[in-house]
Amino acid sequence: MKSIELIGKGKEMHGRAYIEVMPDELENAIKKLKENGFNHFVMLSCIDWLEEEKFELVYHLWSYEVKEHVMLSVRMNRNNASMPSMSHLFPQIETYEREIHEMYGIEFDGNNRLTPFLLENWHHAPPMRKDFDSEKFVGKLYESIPFIEEDENEGI
Amino acid sequence: MGLYIGDKMMKYEEWSKLAIKVSKASLWMLHFCTGCGAIEMPPVMTSRYDMERFGIAPMATPRQADVLLITGYLTVKTLRRVIQVYEQMQSPKYVIAFGSCTINGGMYWDSYNTIKHLEKYIPVDVYITGCMPRPEGIINAFIKLMELIDEGKARGWEKYQKYYDKYKENQRRVFNFEIEGENEEY
Repeated sequence: MKSIELIGKGKEMHGRAYIEVMPDELENAIKKLKENGFNHFVMLSCIDWLEEEKFELVYHLWSYEVKEHVMLSVRMNRNNASMPSMSHLFPQIETYEREIHEMYGIEFDGNNRLTPFLLENWHHAPPMRKDFDSEKFVGKLYESIPFIEEDENEGI
Repeated sequence: MGLYIGDKMMKYEEWSKLAIKVSKASLWMLHFCTGCGAIEMPPVMTSRYDMERFGIAPMATPRQADVLLITGYLTVKTLRRVIQVYEQMQSPKYVIAFGSCTINGGMYWDSYNTIKHLEKYIPVDVYITGCMPRPEGIINAFIKLMELIDEGKARGWEKYQKYYDKYKENQRRVFNFEIEGENEEY
């Protein structure tokens, strides 16, 4: 596959190229791919590997010339996770980084628009992290709100 | 205060009772389309099930509507808009809630940002069970609502006025994701 030849490592996975890179190699890898026809940035996704104490960011790119989908995967430590922002390469990355910052709590250095995005008034831990106990949270918040019972003696 | 019909004057209380009874024959609805229930509405409105047989018609704005339809799950963010719409409607007003999601959260029972019981935030007159309810179920709910109006039991809007402070307190708590008595991190 063209992208694997360009970066010099990686493997084919379900018809796509899957390339693991180190955080400091990422910027050059995206630049190199962009210059060689992979000029469609599809999306940025995030995976929380709780047991391994890692976050994985996946940068998806597509080439219209060779019709090839490449996934650039970066791993980082789960504690105080941060990554340099890539929004200067593709401007739409800024929005994906906002979402991932809100849902997983990853800091993106160089992105100064990491403001609240989808959630309103949220002040608990980032909800898409695996250690966020959603069931417990539901019990404490939604189930603790009382039903409004009518006073039978008074009626309405 | 009253209304003259011939020589006889109707008192305001009598008149409003009559008005409520008559209004059941022309329920104008505002469908607040959240979640999947929205897809069940077009067949109910159009020629196959034809809800206008029962005097039910879709309306463009909250101020013209009698019935508010909540057609599925609500996130906290959407709930804020639903309450704004509900408060804009004029009394008497009724709420029909669709599907499992508005009853107990449905398949989103453990989601961090969907509300579980709609009843805690605005009064609901009729629930429709199912995931999703069929168009027949929706029409059935309207017929049930008409019966309740006739018997004087669909009084959610009066309940909202009477327990306004309690409803507002519940709404404030859920909007701020406020957990009582602790600041524990999740």
